Amino acid sequence: MTTTVGLKCSDGVVLASDRRASKGGMVGSKGVKKIYPLDDNKAVAIAGQLSDANYLINLVKAESKLMQFERGFPLSVSESAKLLSNILYNGMRSYAPFVTEMLVAGFDESGPRLFEADISGAVTEEKFTSSGSGSPIALGVLESSYREGVTCGEGSDIASRAVKAAMERDPGSGNGIMVLRITKGGMEWSNVGGAE
Amino acid sequence: MMSSRDMGYDRAIVMYTPDGRLLQVEYASEAVKYGSPVVAIRGKDFAIAVTRTRDNDPLLDPIEKIHMIDDNIGAAGAGFTGDIGLLIDHARVQAQRHRMVFEEPVDVRSVVNTIGKFIYEFTRYGGVRPLGAALIIMGSDKAGKHIYQLDPRGVILSGKAMAIGKNCESATDMLRTEYRADLTVREAIDLALKALSKAEEKESPVEVGIAIGDSFRKMSLSEARALYP
Repeated sequence: MTTTVGLKCSDGVVLASDRRASKGGMVGSKGVKKIYPLDDNKAVAIAGQLSDANYLINLVKAESKLMQFERGFPLSVSESAKLLSNILYNGMRSYAPFVTEMLVAGFDESGPRLFEADISGAVTEEKFTSSGSGSPIALGVLESSYREGVTCGEGSDIASRAVKAAMERDPGSGNGIMVLRITKGGMEWSNVGGAE
Repeated sequence: MMSSRDMGYDRAIVMYTPDGRLLQVEYASEAVKYGSPVVAIRGKDFAIAVTRTRDNDPLLDPIEKIHMIDDNIGAAGAGFTGDIGLLIDHARVQAQRHRMVFEEPVDVRSVVNTIGKFIYEFTRYGGVRPLGAALIIMGSDKAGKHIYQLDPRGVILSGKAMAIGKNCESATDMLRTEYRADLTVREAIDLALKALSKAEEKESPVEVGIAIGDSFRKMSLSEARALYP
């Protein structure tokens, strides 16, 4: 279930998601958060098993913090994505996989970066991507609207249109949109609809 | 009559002397007294610690003395650098473990208790050496601002002002006479520096740790002076 969207822009990176949590055929929750900050300049958007994703995020945050104290500077976006994917890979190889797919986005010395990590531990860098049950629909919008060099403002608009299209046709997605923009200056959240 | 030393009571830490002492643990406490001193003071809504970095050699970078444990907690040690590092690592892991379980920052007391037990275990078993490190742990949590002191025995002390390391008694004497409950951050730093110079005559750069609001930060003396004029 879920639709998450990530896209890389000229001045930052955008994550967007719907707000619905599904419990079987039912709407389990109407105002769930699917985008989580890892620190001041990195965040992940999650799809799949919420419990697995929450646990993974806490683990990655803890490991990153220890690493940062040890070496004196924070993890880059690619290091965070790789750390996450290593845990996912270990899960798969020990027959207890984390049933989740995550978009890792952030801004570091190398500029805006966007990665996708899946249940198998595969990690790929993307210009734009989507995951969750609504992703085929969202990707349709992204394929036709995304251009390289879009600004974060335009990017947020494309991302919310992609999530909105998925919400219209995918029963696993709905109840409002959450958008996060990460730029050099930090994070900016905006919500459209959804229960509080 | 042979002294307890001659009779080998200081060989193993699991062995008491006839008068009920653990000599290896006492020797570890002695090692701490060679460590560079740390002075900490708790005010009404803050806690601070000051210490001097070690820089004997102009070619080498000074060794940092104040360590971040989490966003709200910091620590400074006196004694063997490696032993201090072990305790710092342990405290950091404990802080992150708490965040993983409760999704809240850890409270200072929990970290101190964990480290206290960890140190204490080294006084109970043969084949290990008691840690030659004392620690001051300070921080901010829902219960307020705290300073704690840990020694090689695993004893935990908390209070308003304290010192560890070389000549800590002289520093503590000064704190005892000059401490006031209404100290400002600036006054507390100045008093701590005064107490520190009682314990150690040195010119090397001063590190300051400050727990104020919800967070703990470490900084240079000049930064601290600029922030709290």
